Amino acid sequence: MTRTGSFYAQLAVTALIGAFLIVPVILSVVAGLTVNFFQGLKSGLTLRWIGEVWSLYSGTVYLSLLVAFACLGATLLLGVPAAYVLAKRQSRWTRLVEELLMLPVAVPGLATALALILLYGGFREFRTSWHFILVGHVLFTLPFMVRAVLAVLTSIDLATLEEGASSLGASFAQRFFGIVLPNCRSGILAGALMVVTLSIGEFNMTWMLHTPLTKTLPVGFADSYASMRIEIGSAYTIVFFFMIVPLLLLVQRFARLGALDRQ
Amino acid sequence: MRRRENLLLLLLMAPAAAAFAAFWLLPMARLAAVAGSGPLGIAAYAAILTNPRYFASLVATILLSAGVTGATLLLAGVAGVFLARNYFPGRSLLLALLTFPLAFPGVVVGFMVIMLAGRQGFIGDIVFRLSGSRLVFAYSMTGLFMGYLYFSIPRVILTVIAGAEKLDAALEEAARSLGAGRWRIVRDVIIPGLRPALISSGAICFATSMGAFGTAFTLATNIDVLPMTIYTEFTLNANFAMAASLSLVLGFITWLVLALARSAAGSGVAAAA
Amino acid sequence: MARSLGLALVALVLLLGRPATAQPTAICYNCPPEWADWASELKAIQVKLGITVPQDNKNSGQALSQLIAEKGNPVADVVYYGVSFGIQAQEAGVVATYEPLHWDEIPAGLKDPGGAWFTIHSGTLGFFVNKDALGGKPVPRSWADLTKPDYKGMVGYLDPSSAFVGYAGAVAVNQALGGSLDDFGPAIGYFKRLLKNDPIVPKQTSYARVLSGEIPILVDYDFNAYRAKYKDQANVEFVIPAEGTLAVPYVMSLVKDAPHDENGRKMLDFVLSDEGQAIWGNAFLRPVRAAALSPEAKAKFLPESEYARVKAVDFAKMAAAQKTFVDRYLAEVR
Repeated sequence: MTRTGSFYAQLAVTALIGAFLIVPVILSVVAGLTVNFFQGLKSGLTLRWIGEVWSLYSGTVYLSLLVAFACLGATLLLGVPAAYVLAKRQSRWTRLVEELLMLPVAVPGLATALALILLYGGFREFRTSWHFILVGHVLFTLPFMVRAVLAVLTSIDLATLEEGASSLGASFAQRFFGIVLPNCRSGILAGALMVVTLSIGEFNMTWMLHTPLTKTLPVGFADSYASMRIEIGSAYTIVFFFMIVPLLLLVQRFARLGALDRQ
Repeated sequence: MRRRENLLLLLLMAPAAAAFAAFWLLPMARLAAVAGSGPLGIAAYAAILTNPRYFASLVATILLSAGVTGATLLLAGVAGVFLARNYFPGRSLLLALLTFPLAFPGVVVGFMVIMLAGRQGFIGDIVFRLSGSRLVFAYSMTGLFMGYLYFSIPRVILTVIAGAEKLDAALEEAARSLGAGRWRIVRDVIIPGLRPALISSGAICFATSMGAFGTAFTLATNIDVLPMTIYTEFTLNANFAMAASLSLVLGFITWLVLALARSAAGSGVAAAA
Repeated sequence: MARSLGLALVALVLLLGRPATAQPTAICYNCPPEWADWASELKAIQVKLGITVPQDNKNSGQALSQLIAEKGNPVADVVYYGVSFGIQAQEAGVVATYEPLHWDEIPAGLKDPGGAWFTIHSGTLGFFVNKDALGGKPVPRSWADLTKPDYKGMVGYLDPSSAFVGYAGAVAVNQALGGSLDDFGPAIGYFKRLLKNDPIVPKQTSYARVLSGEIPILVDYDFNAYRAKYKDQANVEFVIPAEGTLAVPYVMSLVKDAPHDENGRKMLDFVLSDEGQAIWGNAFLRPVRAAALSPEAKAKFLPESEYARVKAVDFAKMAAAQKTFVDRYLAEVR
């Protein structure tokens, strides 16, 4: 009997948390479709606000997607090999490298952005292009990719697998692409999910790094919420959801496929 | 053989190391120099302790982050274990809905809090209908706390679920067969089993809360958390030196907590994000 | 697996190789579309001059700080901000001198003699009130009214440490309550009393929040209130407080070493031209070239008798006093 009681208590907590996270989302979707937020639903529904948001801010959606995917590419290229090295040689030095990589997560985004501007702001082409924002995003998301892949690599018996492969005559490259990468696939996918979501939602650094020509979605969102009508801010969140949900589902689907494969 | 392998490993590490050195280490060194070159000189670094406003801000931020971390671990812990063990129709949808706020920028989270607890908010409306007075807490510490909880819970819950799935059911069975009650099992079997997951996700939660800027920026609370103080210094006569020194001190404190957590979770365990 | 990685890499390379756009642009720091109807002004600039100026939502303080941070290699070409920030920008050495067309028509007190900044329009501070959101309470008429418990949780004012309107509001209430630029005691005392009423203190323009009812009473400019009333058809009233208030100019400057210098100058010429000034007038600001304010727009303002309570201050002194006041505000009003 107590078991059922505690079951319901846990269910209640879970349900409450779910409601806490989801209800405001529903509210803002409704607000973005209402003619007048202050009057509420009785003023009618409209797609006008979404249209206005799209005409004003479609650029930010494209830019955020661009930066997120470029960030993913960069963290894959930089992070997966780095994680492999950290897994192969677990020493004091590699632990130091791990700690260092975590630093951009610890230091506030404003500081990293300021530091980048102070040192590299002089290169005008670089400063005014989206690459400047990309650099900040990669710094911030790289540790997440590295950690995710490293977690998987340390949990499998990498040494035995590689020894087996090399005893059969596999070269370093063959081992890396044929043994290591497929085995850390779930880590790569988990890392990819983190990197993409973190990049799309990054505000702290981007707010300082952006120029009026390189606005990402969170920056545009802050703008619209501050200076536009609340219906526009809410419609912007609807656009954001349309962008993010398919993306997350896609990555999760890859992850599930990956997990099935391993079984 | 080993030497050749070491060389290859070095090559594999090189791009990440180079990018990191060029785009983080060097700029940070420059920032540290700027921080020490303002009107106060090197003493700027101590200002966080000596200046009452900065110190109050630091304490508020640490308390808030610690409080949020504790509450999140508790709530997400309960929900995570529950979701890991119970399968019901709609479970995967619920999981997806619970994790999708991960992508929300802090600004959107602030906006969500206002939707819930602002003057025109959902909670205010309900309380108004029930009692005639409006409950508005979006702009107080409670609102900020709620906002931080909003972006922290999704981060922690994923890790907890993953950790809970790895728990050895046999241990719990054994404990139960030895006569341990519910709470005893939770305290002595489940929590220790989840410890690495809880510590690592708790540390990330703490770090994110310490550095969170977007939420406080949108909520425009009067309570100054350190990132907002840094922002104020930046926009106040462009006091870069102070903004830089405060940022670096904040970064150091956060990094310290992360490092402590990592050693507490066991060395070599690079916990999943 | 390798295929998806390969695809990602190809996409990355393709995306990285995209060429930059080549339309003529000018970058303006602090040209928010909803503020002073910059949206119409920017559109007119696009149509008449062919220059694309993206909108930008910084506030005056952020704009100045960003200019200083980017001093070595500016991103912006022109900047729009409150007069005290203009003076500070000049002292910081981030603006260039430029005397646009119609320079001589700007009154002496409203421009820097050297051309570092010049007024384009001004506004008057008061209460921007969303009457529907007052929940039946009467519209406040004086600064003192705002501290009444009736309005608990309903009052907002912009942060004096970041936004110019915040600082201007502080100077306004200070003057109204008998203080001066040498003595900010009355203002500090006022803000402390106001704290008991749970005010909302945003860092950036909050036009939307007044309209949505989130901030029923905002200390803001007359032009924002008139815009809400006449353009957005909201049930809004603008109140000039009984104790008196301030009119303040907003100024623009050409950024030193601007990347698109020519375009910046053309833009500055335009905002002072007949057409540019008329847009400000239609947006219910007082254009610096007073003749540009059309009678139709003028008719929508509050009567002149109300505006008699509006004073001016020595703007140079206002700029000099800003830091001390802000330090005091941050330390004491908590």
